[in-house]
Amino acid sequence: MDLAVFIQTCLNAVYASSYLALVAVGLVLIFGVMRVVNFAHGELYMAGAYALFWVFHQTGLPFFLGVAVAIAAVGALGLVMERALFRPMRNNPLGGLICSIGALLILQAGAVALFGVRKKSFAGPYNEAVSLFGVESLTISGQRLAVIAFAVALLGALWVFLKKSRFGWALRAVAQDPDAAALQGISIGRISMLAMALGAGLAGAAGALTATIVPTGPYMGHSVIIGAFIVIIVGGVGSLEGAVVASILYAFVSTFVTTIWDGVVADIAGLLLMLAVLVARPQGLFGRPERA
Amino acid sequence: MSFASMNRRNFLGATALAGAATVAGPHRARADDTVKIGFLAPLTGDVAAWGLPGLYGCEIWAEQKNAMGGVEIGGATYNVEIVSYDNEYLPDKARTGAQKLIAEDGVSFIEMLGGDTMPAVTPIANRAEMLVSTLLPSDLSPDTPFLVAPAEVHPIYNLTGVWWMAENMPDAKTAVICAQDDAIGRPSVATYLAAFEAHGVEVKDTIFFDISTTDFAPVMTAMLAHKPDILCLDTAYAEFVNELCKQAFVQGYGGQIVSCTADFYADIIANTSEEFMDGVIFQFPDFDDPALNDPRINFDDPNGFFQTYNERYPGQWGAVSWEYASILDLWLDGARKAGSIEPAAVLEGMKQGGKGAHAFGEADWWGEELFGIDNALVGDWPVVQIQNGKAVIVEFKNIPEWWSEHGGTMIEHFEEMGEMWYQRA
Repeated sequence: MDLAVFIQTCLNAVYASSYLALVAVGLVLIFGVMRVVNFAHGELYMAGAYALFWVFHQTGLPFFLGVAVAIAAVGALGLVMERALFRPMRNNPLGGLICSIGALLILQAGAVALFGVRKKSFAGPYNEAVSLFGVESLTISGQRLAVIAFAVALLGALWVFLKKSRFGWALRAVAQDPDAAALQGISIGRISMLAMALGAGLAGAAGALTATIVPTGPYMGHSVIIGAFIVIIVGGVGSLEGAVVASILYAFVSTFVTTIWDGVVADIAGLLLMLAVLVARPQGLFGRPERA
Repeated sequence: MSFASMNRRNFLGATALAGAATVAGPHRARADDTVKIGFLAPLTGDVAAWGLPGLYGCEIWAEQKNAMGGVEIGGATYNVEIVSYDNEYLPDKARTGAQKLIAEDGVSFIEMLGGDTMPAVTPIANRAEMLVSTLLPSDLSPDTPFLVAPAEVHPIYNLTGVWWMAENMPDAKTAVICAQDDAIGRPSVATYLAAFEAHGVEVKDTIFFDISTTDFAPVMTAMLAHKPDILCLDTAYAEFVNELCKQAFVQGYGGQIVSCTADFYADIIANTSEEFMDGVIFQFPDFDDPALNDPRINFDDPNGFFQTYNERYPGQWGAVSWEYASILDLWLDGARKAGSIEPAAVLEGMKQGGKGAHAFGEADWWGEELFGIDNALVGDWPVVQIQNGKAVIVEFKNIPEWWSEHGGTMIEHFEEMGEMWYQRA
């Protein structure tokens, strides 16, 4: 592998890790606070992509307005899911999981009904290739750079929110120990709504940002959710830092294996990475061991 | 009984009888005069682009036949009804669909895309002796006596594009192939490998990717690392071709592209540029192409069909839009020769004389060497090039002619890929 191909592959991996981190961090937030394995999270990503398709491509409004609408709309969708599906199942994790599978099917069917089965492939406003480091053969589309920049900004903003704001403290407290948090006067219901809105909004952001890069279709959430589950297992279930680090690790392994061998081997390599981490450190890279 | 002598009771009785006759008679007559054709293909999901546009084409075909009073077979006239079932390109759904179409709907013929869904349907079709068509002759084997591939000789026709490039672009000497790892992608890779070898093009690498892939940047980086003269996109799904072209464009590729399909190529041009897509070689013409008005073409008014299709389903024309309809032409031809709509008789009629009226000209029933059974209709196939943003047929190439010289190479590559019929079995 020559240097240009190596750097190009690194760029591809940085892009892949950025949107994957957005999805995985959202999934961790929801699981951490609500103890729900949200199988419909990939469909929230899909909803974000369709929101951008509608706002930006169909109505011709600015791209970043489309991203903002997608974050707000999918965040609101998350709130609806929390109130209608997950809150009634608060003490029933299996019920929550089954509800999330139901939501997955409903959202897929809804996308088919609204937008048809054919995938939408449309260009973003920054589709042109950007040469890096003055090397002509080393290029990345402006659209991919925008995804990377936005992912860093959104995750940075989330970190500040969680560490510096009262809502952030409350959210982390509920994630650590819901009973103790409730005894401190924190409303579990409100914090659950906040976690769901944030998690869904991040998935919506990832979907919207990547909608002009990958084909937007009703079933586009499948591959993303599989990658996100691998990431949160590798990073440690419930760990936000773990989700970010594992996203980078998984994306680099997958991208390099795809470039050196092929995509099918890369899928196997991703699963082997998860297996290796589970064998060596069952709680994941940043997870805490379960107390007996 | 005279009208004058009819009392109230007789009148009511006669009216009831007449009413019953009116209701029952025509219904029974209509049922007897309708032939049902099953359409069992993906109408949703990732592979819908190779199912749904074909259903649209069949519906137009049936409407046109019915508007002319139906089709005449064996002295009887039938209306044609297309009964569709969405198999989502899932074997289980395909099996259920085949059972429903045969047992409940009573279809006389089933059209399928084939591929991964075919093994689930074959035992049912064999038991019912149901005539089934596939677009993928790589489904054929001696275990599929009721399966025919009368329209598309996928992936064999892909050799015609490579053949044409070798004659017209002799400086293109290296290629890289990428393909999704499935029953559509793998035999197509074998075909391209054989064609490139036959025409002296070195294949630097073959890169498989999973069908769940959404980000094609790494795939394209891997391909371009070899600095190929030709990027071969194999028989990638429609969305994959689009994404691969986008990536090739963004990563600065400036060489030749060859692909089995370039469905919805206007979208690809919109996502890249007209200049970038100029010269791309693929295998599926638009049916407004003047070359299809040649008398040897066995497809009724291709230009009119294309116009009707695009008026009704704008932007939906793709590789399969005409294919399933052209299979209906061949089925009708077989049924007329047999004088029957019974599946076994129609199959015999279709294969009568070892030749058939393929859409692109008279063709031979062929395939014993490659598929173990002569159930693929093979003759000429067009090479299509994008020129100034429009698909244009640049030449028809004869597949049996190529086969007579290079057939052994093709068999070698099919064997290496594990795609010969005896390996698949």
